[in-house]
Amino acid sequence: MSGFVVFARKEAREILRTWRIWVLPGILLFFALTGPVMARFTPEIVAALAADQLGGLQLPDPTYLDAYSQWIKNLSGTALFALIIVYGSIVSAESRSGTAVLVLTKPVSRTAFVVAKVAVHSVFLAILVVAGTLVTWGLTAAAFGKAPGSALWSSALACLALGIFFIALMTFFSVVIRAAAGAAGAGLGAYALLSIAGVWEPLGLYTLAGLGAAASSIAAGRDSAVLWPVLTSLLLAVGLVALAAGVFRRNEL
Amino acid sequence: MTAAILTAGLTKVYGDKRALDGVDLVVEEGSVFGFLGPNGAGKTTMLRLLTGLARPTAGSVQILGREVASTSNWVRAQIGFLPDVPGFYEWMTAEEFLRFAGGLFGIRGPVLDERAGMLLDLAGLCGVTTKIGGFSRGMKQRLGVAQALINAPRLLLLDEPTSALDPMGRKDVLDMLASLRGRTTVFFSTHILADVERVCDTVAILDRGQVVTHGHIDELKARYGVQKVVVEVTDRADELAHEFELEPWATAVTRRSNGAIEITVTDMDKAQRQIPALVSARQSGLSRLEAGELGLEEVFVDLVGGDRR
Repeated sequence: MSGFVVFARKEAREILRTWRIWVLPGILLFFALTGPVMARFTPEIVAALAADQLGGLQLPDPTYLDAYSQWIKNLSGTALFALIIVYGSIVSAESRSGTAVLVLTKPVSRTAFVVAKVAVHSVFLAILVVAGTLVTWGLTAAAFGKAPGSALWSSALACLALGIFFIALMTFFSVVIRAAAGAAGAGLGAYALLSIAGVWEPLGLYTLAGLGAAASSIAAGRDSAVLWPVLTSLLLAVGLVALAAGVFRRNEL
Repeated sequence: MTAAILTAGLTKVYGDKRALDGVDLVVEEGSVFGFLGPNGAGKTTMLRLLTGLARPTAGSVQILGREVASTSNWVRAQIGFLPDVPGFYEWMTAEEFLRFAGGLFGIRGPVLDERAGMLLDLAGLCGVTTKIGGFSRGMKQRLGVAQALINAPRLLLLDEPTSALDPMGRKDVLDMLASLRGRTTVFFSTHILADVERVCDTVAILDRGQVVTHGHIDELKARYGVQKVVVEVTDRADELAHEFELEPWATAVTRRSNGAIEITVTDMDKAQRQIPALVSARQSGLSRLEAGELGLEEVFVDLVGGDRR
């Protein structure tokens, strides 16, 4: 068994046995459980709370697409923010605590160290997104009596590609910025820049800058091309991991 | 025989500080080598360069005949390393960490079971199921030594291995290091002179990034040390001290606070023969005549402590 596999198994066990098992799964489970219910009962809730202010305005009847949109909005918004903060110290925490020194003086290359982290946490995110989407799908079917899968799964997988890109980006920031808060700040800045860049149509159509908007559009039942945004997202993620590994190899511990 | 460690002109500069300055060092295979120096002398920097955690500004480092920089994976497979403050995954138990460390070397199955059990026993951590996060510093240090041995390394590199240990733990670790003599090369840095004197056969003394001396302990004592004799007499100590000063074999005579006379000698045989005769001639009695060598501590203080006193 190579050092890569042993280290990757350590990463997986670390997720299961530390705070990591509670934060992202907790956030995603909360959104998955509440999204369809909120979508189904929003008109009733609004009517009960603000009937006087609505006058004669009638809210449209909610559909399963509202539940899907809610899930995707949460995935590409709050959940992504949480991911950026959680992964701000994915590498630097090991450098600071001295665990990286004990691992990297054994036959494990620095590239394997970085790649194993990104691979394991990408799989972890994929499991969370799939599990959360399954819960959303089931609850949507229960709440609305109808829940076609394609719009939900296409948009959720587009969000997963964006999430994997941000794991790679945070790995890179965590290698170059030793302070977790600094890396998280840089990640949030990158998120803001991408959101602004997506407004420009060529970038929005052909790069990951438009991935969030495209996913929301699909979840709302509209056609939207996500092939290029997903491809650029995954290619950039690979590039960022290579860059992070290169910088980490040159870093002194 | 290939040197376990060979450095040539090894230099490491941080900003305007030369942490290591042209260090030439040879550590023979099978030796227990003490790398001695005061705090801030550059010992940890040296170990970081030997393990490839840092890169030299100038010079070269060879471990077991290979350049650290070019064949680092091969080199890492041959070494065991304990940093000065080892960092562990605090959610693991000691046994889990040893199994993880062994797995990184590709050790598994019955071999890993046997080594993990033996090393837990050695570290006094058998049956300890507490997570490492709840360990004392001494327990972590003992686990650090154990994990450094999991691959039965050809070269064991230890940075201040006894600094966090209580006297019993310190004795256990030093006995263990001494037992490795001839089987594994042990290179350990320390500022504790007694540890070096107790287990090392060879020593280098580092001061301000430079090796000020390097060799077998006995050679160093012979090279830098002069022999001394302590004499206690029943009467006329002052007169005898003056008389000793006149002898050609005595280079210095001092009085201790308890009245004993300490004589630095160039010819121990002559001193041992003539001192009783001189005492007797003065009608005094000889209570104590003790011949001794200069200790490593005195060599160390002479070499690095002169302008700090």
